[in-house]
Formats: sequence, structure tokens, C-alpha cells
Amino acid sequence: MKGSKKIWISTFFVVLPALVPLLTRSEYFINLLVMFFLYVILSLSWNLQGGFNGQISLGHSAFFGIGALVTRLLWINKTPILLAVVGGGLSSVILAVIVGTPCLRMKRGYFPIGTLGLAIIAQITVGNILPVPGSLPREYIVGYSLSSRYYLALSVAVLGLMVVYYVVRSRTGMAFVAIRDDEEAAEAIGIKTFRYKVKALLLSSLLAGLGGGVFSYHQVSYYYQSPFDLSWSFLPTLTTFIGGLGTIMGPVLGSVCFLALNELFAFTLGEVHLVIFGFTFILIVLFVPGGLMSIREHIQTFLSRAIS
Amino acid sequence: MGQTLVFGILNGALYGIIALGIALVFGVMKYLNVAHGALIIVGAYGSLFLFRLGIDPFASIPFILILLFLGGIILFKAFFTRLVEFHEGEKIKNSLLISFGLMLVIENLATLIWTGDERSITPSYSGVTFQLFGLRFPLIGLSGGVLALILISALHLFLSRTYFGKSVRAVSQDHEAAGLMGINVRRTFLASFAISVSLAGIPSVLIGLQSFSPTAGIQWFNKGIIVVMLSGIGNIYGVFPAGLFLGIIEALSVFFFGATYREVTGLVVFVIILILFPTGLLGSGAES
Repeated sequence: MKGSKKIWISTFFVVLPALVPLLTRSEYFINLLVMFFLYVILSLSWNLQGGFNGQISLGHSAFFGIGALVTRLLWINKTPILLAVVGGGLSSVILAVIVGTPCLRMKRGYFPIGTLGLAIIAQITVGNILPVPGSLPREYIVGYSLSSRYYLALSVAVLGLMVVYYVVRSRTGMAFVAIRDDEEAAEAIGIKTFRYKVKALLLSSLLAGLGGGVFSYHQVSYYYQSPFDLSWSFLPTLTTFIGGLGTIMGPVLGSVCFLALNELFAFTLGEVHLVIFGFTFILIVLFVPGGLMSIREHIQTFLSRAIS
Repeated sequence: MGQTLVFGILNGALYGIIALGIALVFGVMKYLNVAHGALIIVGAYGSLFLFRLGIDPFASIPFILILLFLGGIILFKAFFTRLVEFHEGEKIKNSLLISFGLMLVIENLATLIWTGDERSITPSYSGVTFQLFGLRFPLIGLSGGVLALILISALHLFLSRTYFGKSVRAVSQDHEAAGLMGINVRRTFLASFAISVSLAGIPSVLIGLQSFSPTAGIQWFNKGIIVVMLSGIGNIYGVFPAGLFLGIIEALSVFFFGATYREVTGLVVFVIILILFPTGLLGSGAES
């Protein structure tokens, strides 16, 4: 990439968002952006495994949830927040090693449904063991500052973007894509497929766990089981497919769309945005497998056909 | 203990009926319909609607079956025809994704229409139980068991005795060869899908008599898919015993670990089966 382009991109993704808390006092807007970064982190993490490695997982809520849970527990027991978030990410990796890797042995089509099963197990178990809301102690609430939440969310999102960017361009990333496209062929040319699938899973769970950490730092009070809710599995699946499966910016684009629809219909009863989003999702899976990122190409080919 | 087992078996019969619908499309077409649970819930709302008009829930079953059959045809025509020619792995993956989107749409539409409240159909006989050998048998659970037996025999007769059933079996074994033999594969798929969706009508009445809410579908789908994996893919006759088995182990887990881990037991069994026996517990090794 050329130097000038690099500067332009980093301005867009880092410097501009970093200025936001200085420019606006609107808590609504900053909270919205924190949620946006959270969606981006989750979708990026999902896309690394689902989009680039072809392992469509519906169990992401378990990794997100354990990250949130461990971060919260470490934090209220007087661990500095940054360490606590790292601890949350690592706990998610440990969970992935214990329960995620055996799932990779499942036959290709059954992986989503098996991981969905794991996510439900995690949700019910945590709901039974810790059925209480994880409220912050009073001294934490007194010192609550939204902008530090904002900067943590932003840095994890940027970190995620960088990790995905570099991994995808490395040998590892190429191996991921090779496995997605044809597992047997990849095996035949000497790629250790299982090892790379584990790598994708671990990277993805690390990011999801860090995202969980951001969630638990941002929320003042929530039930310990709520980040284990299945919607945290469904959300990155939807956003990534709609944005563009297996593209770097697809998850970001998908998250923008999701958030925009969510806000648009926030005042109506029920979840109209999910109806629209679910329907769009079906149409994308059926007709536009490349998601919104590929729409431009579609239009270009359509136009060139129309002209000639 | 005996009482626990009775409830386990009656629940198991219900799981068996749910799984039958899922197993039919999964075995024949390799479509994994995650929205099956959501369709059951739609049927339950239909039955509740008819009940409020004064129609007995059991008498409403034929209406619900027809309604869901038509719904199945529409859904297949709209979303699932494109997948007919895909390879097996792609078929499972894509059908799963599409039906997953469908599930979200149905669940949220149902919440919009009927609100998120928990409902149940309550005819005068809903609490009636029989005493037999010192054990209690709830009337509704028993009739569920009877319905399950009728259904499984009807499906067996349909698949083994009718010409159309024969073509369904042929397509489930090898759809390309079946196509070469002059079977209309697409139509067979359409009919199997519609029958499978309409089979959701029977559990929907039985679940309607318990309690349901718009988002309860996935929970029932889970029971169904666990049973399908227990019985082995493509093994429709194993479904009912596998359902009973799941009902019994759930009942035992309630007995030993308490009611809170009831859902977990089945799922743990499910995940272990998926890892160790990729084609299901009693499945034929033909696929691998």
C-alpha cells in the first residue's frame, strides 16, 4: 500500500473517531458509537473464523460471554481494567481450547448447529450458577467516565481490524482461505488443516473475549447471563453476511447497517429491524453471497452488460 | 422415580414427533430447517386462535396441518428451490443459514403480532389425569403419545406402501440416480418439505396446550435435532425410540441434578455425539 493511502486510512479509522468525545457532549451518540465498536469487534472476530476459514459458528456468544464474565469478576476484585480485559480475552481462548477444538472435528455441515448447542449450554449454566445482576460497586460508579469506555472500545476495534488485516495477508490467512475453499485440496497440498482451523478459532475467540471485556467495562449493571444470550451469536452472523463474508471491511459495513436500522426502528414496538435484517440476510445468502461489499461489482457488471 | 419416568416418556413422545418433521427433510433432502421450531410456534398460535373461536384444540389439528402444508409450499418455492442442486455440505450449510434467517423473521413477526407474552390453550380438560398402578398419567400427554404412534405408523405406511413414498426413499438414497430414473426430484423435494412443515402442526397443538411464546421455537427445535442426531441421519424409524430415550434421560437428570439442568443434559449428549459419531448414533456409515 502507498504511504499516502496508509495515512489517509489511519486518519479515517483512528484519528477521526478518537476526536469524537472532544467534539460532542452527547452521551447518546457516544454510547451508540461504543455499541458500534462492540458490533465491529464481534463481527470481525466472527468473520475471521466464519468468513475466511469457512467455519460458520453460532457459538460466539459463549466466547463473548465468558470474556465479559471474567473481565467483570477480575475488575471488581481490584484488577486494573486493562489487565482484566486481557484476562477476559485469555479466558475465552481457554474456553475455545477446551470446548471449541473438539467441535472442529464435526462434519462440515454440523459445525454451526453443534456450536449453537454449546452456546445454549453456556447460557443455561451461567444463568443457573450466577443468576444475579453483576452490578458495579459504588466507588466504581462514582468514577464512571464514558470517554474511557469509548477509547477502550475504539482501541480494541482498531486492534481487531489490524489483526484481521495482517493475518489475512499472511501465510496463515491464505491457508485459512484455502481450507474454506476446498478442505481436501488444501490438505493435499500440505496444509495442516486442523491446525489452521484451531488457529482461526483461537484468534477469533480471543477477539470475541476482548469484546466481552469492552461490554462489561461499558455496562454499569447487567445479568451475568445476558452477554451469553444467543443474540450475541446471531448478530455477528447477520452483520458479516450482509456486509460481505470473507472481506476485511464487510463486518464494519454490516455493523453500520445493523445499527442504523436498529436506531431507525428503536421507537416502534418489537423488533422490526430484526425482521428486515433477517429477510435481507436470506436474500443475501440466496442471491448475493458476497454481501454489500460485492454490490459495486454487481452493478459494474450489470452496467457493462447493459452498455454492450 | 416411576412418576418421573412416566413424564419423561410422555415428553419423549412429543420430542419424537418434533424430530420426525426435522428428520424427514434432513434425511431426504439434507436440508436442515432451523425454523421448524418457529413454525411449530406459529401453528400453536393458529390453534389458540381457533380455540378462541370455540374449536377444540385436538379438532383444530387438521386445520393447522393444512395451513402449515400450504405455508411449507410457499416457503419452499420462495427460498429453498435454489438449493436443490447443491452438494451435500453446501446444502446443509445454506439451508441452515436461510432457515436461520427465516427463524429470526418469524420469531420477530410473531412478537410484533402477538406480543412476547407467554400463552397457553386451556380447554376444560387440560388438568385431567388418570391413576394407573399408583402413577399419574396426564390426559394431554397420553393423547400426545397416542398421536405420535398414529403419526409414525401413517408415515411408515406412506413411505413403504405408496408410489410417492417410494420415490421419496429413492431420492433420499441418491437424488441424481433417482432423477435419471425419471423421478421428478424437485417435486419430491417440494412435497417432502411441505409434509415436514405440516408435521409441525401436531406438536404445535400439544405445545400450545402446555405454554408457548414467540421465541420458544428454538428450544423445541433443539429437542428435535438432538433426537435426529441420536437416531442417526436418514433413519426415520429410529426417531421415535430416540425421542423416548431423550425424554427418559432428561427425566433422570431432573431426578438427580434438579430441573435447572434439564436442557443441558440433552445438549451435552448432542455435542458429544456430533464429535464422536459424525453421522449420528445409529446412522449408517454410508455417508462417510
